[in-house]
Amino acid sequence: MTRYLLKRLFWMVPLLVGISLISFLIMHLAPGDITTTEAGFNPKASEESRQKLRQLYHLDEPLLVQYGLWLKRMATLDFGTSFASHQRPVFLEHKDEKGNVSKGMIQEALPITLLINVLSLALIIAVALPLGVISSLYQNKSPDRAITVFVFVGFAVPGFWLALLLMYWLGVAHDWLPISGLHSLGYEHLAWPARLWDTAKHLAIPVFISSLGGLAGISLFVRNGMLDVLHQDYITTARAKGLPENAVVYRHALRNAMLPLITILGLSIPGLIGGSVIAESLFAIPGMGKLFYDAVLMRDFPVIMGILTIGAALTLIGNLLADIAYAWADPRVRRGVTG
Amino acid sequence: MNRALSNPLARWGFAIIATVLLLALLAPLIAPYDPDAIDVKGILLAPSSGHWMGTDGLGRDVFSRMLFGARISLLVGFVAVGIATVIGVILGALSGFYRGWVDMVIMRLVDVMLSIPTFFLILAVIAFLTPSIWNIMIVIGLTSWMGVTRLVRAEFLSLREREFVLSAQTLGARNGRLIFRHLLPNSLTPIIVSSVLGIASAVLVESGLSFLGLGVQPPQASWGNILTDGKEYLEFAWWLSLFPGMAILLTVLGYNLLGEGLRDALDPRATKNQH
Repeated sequence: MTRYLLKRLFWMVPLLVGISLISFLIMHLAPGDITTTEAGFNPKASEESRQKLRQLYHLDEPLLVQYGLWLKRMATLDFGTSFASHQRPVFLEHKDEKGNVSKGMIQEALPITLLINVLSLALIIAVALPLGVISSLYQNKSPDRAITVFVFVGFAVPGFWLALLLMYWLGVAHDWLPISGLHSLGYEHLAWPARLWDTAKHLAIPVFISSLGGLAGISLFVRNGMLDVLHQDYITTARAKGLPENAVVYRHALRNAMLPLITILGLSIPGLIGGSVIAESLFAIPGMGKLFYDAVLMRDFPVIMGILTIGAALTLIGNLLADIAYAWADPRVRRGVTG
Repeated sequence: MNRALSNPLARWGFAIIATVLLLALLAPLIAPYDPDAIDVKGILLAPSSGHWMGTDGLGRDVFSRMLFGARISLLVGFVAVGIATVIGVILGALSGFYRGWVDMVIMRLVDVMLSIPTFFLILAVIAFLTPSIWNIMIVIGLTSWMGVTRLVRAEFLSLREREFVLSAQTLGARNGRLIFRHLLPNSLTPIIVSSVLGIASAVLVESGLSFLGLGVQPPQASWGNILTDGKEYLEFAWWLSLFPGMAILLTVLGYNLLGEGLRDALDPRATKNQH
């Protein structure tokens, strides 16, 4: 297991280098350099902020030096300070000479997005797993057909549109759920059960919206995986030796069908993180997605570059966790047996 | 083509897409109003016989804007996927044909691209450029070629070991001939299927970007930016939200049905789940 882990960690190095290269490339995509107006740099921006940007990314140095310094920034997780008037540090908190602590922007936003993503993943597993199993057990009969329709619609429905409709129906027309922010006014004065309930109400629609694609995708994936497994010889054997159908389905088939699910869930993390932009900016939830969206609108480059890098790092960590879980669940992987 | 359309999924998908395509092409003939004509006396009118889908906050006819918005959606879908497919086929072919270090480098590049959340990547690029319909198409294309690359690579790896390819090689066929006469034509089905499915997701991404104000810029109409208005007037004008959303849903559904149907009809391996 340790050897497998080390090997897996080693493979992350070229990926990290690649990510640094891609992000460096994006920074230099703009015609000329990023402080020119062609690049969308605010023409009213002062010479001072232009200088600041040049200094931050060492735009006056040769390219190779710039890249080296960018690598150093990534390695030390120091993405500079925001261009916004509050000038807060992009990632981690910073203490100035007078001992004033200013909190990092990503540091504050990250837990919120992680919470939404974890809840989304939980919802996806809780709903899509049974749907997929039911679908496979009733292959081509009406439950399967109904679930297939759900899957196709789930893939096609624009999340932000469904969010608008739910906002209107549950928030405006009926006033059942709040449609903006993470907490209500006066949240600080509530006892903890009321706080939990308040947060849950704020997160209900956003979590549902961000899990939409996953719900459809994972249902389909579980269905097809189950169908594959149900036609394997060991299932026929299990049935032949007279096991009750429930034991065949849940102990023998489902366990094997769930193995690749671990990987797929790991792979769905970048989609979830990226998808947080729409849900969070629509519902004014102060997570990574909204932070990123605001940064793009304001062309707050240090924040953009910071979130891009942290987002990629999160994906790598997610995939690593998925691989570890897979190795833990499947002895063939951790012993390095192939096939 | 006949075989493809014998599949009911593909038939439905084809019908939907053909309808949208027709409406988009004939938009100037069908549209009852100029899509950009502002009418201050007729703002936020509910759907009626005069305005089938009502009017927006500037009094523009929503039905006319929807028709012209269809053009944008289709154009972005085709061009973005065209770019992604060209890149994907070239890289996948190189990877699967030459293997070795070429394969290694290209596959690591794919891994890197897949590890950056796509929507973040797209938004970051747009932040450094300016949002316009052309930039959107290029950016979506440049960030969605990884699936095709893996697909073409896998096809090439397996086809390369097949007897007809080995015999052509033994007879002295050069690499170019092997790739273009033998390997590529035999990989066409999965490429077509993944392109059709790719258009579906490109349409979704474009509408999302336009909705956020980072895609097609007003006054040019797109389904996404009509929805931005829908959000603005959520409490007073349901028609501004309902119709563009339905249009996106139907179009994406159409492409997905067509893609899945084509896969079922053309790819014998995909039917293994239909015992």
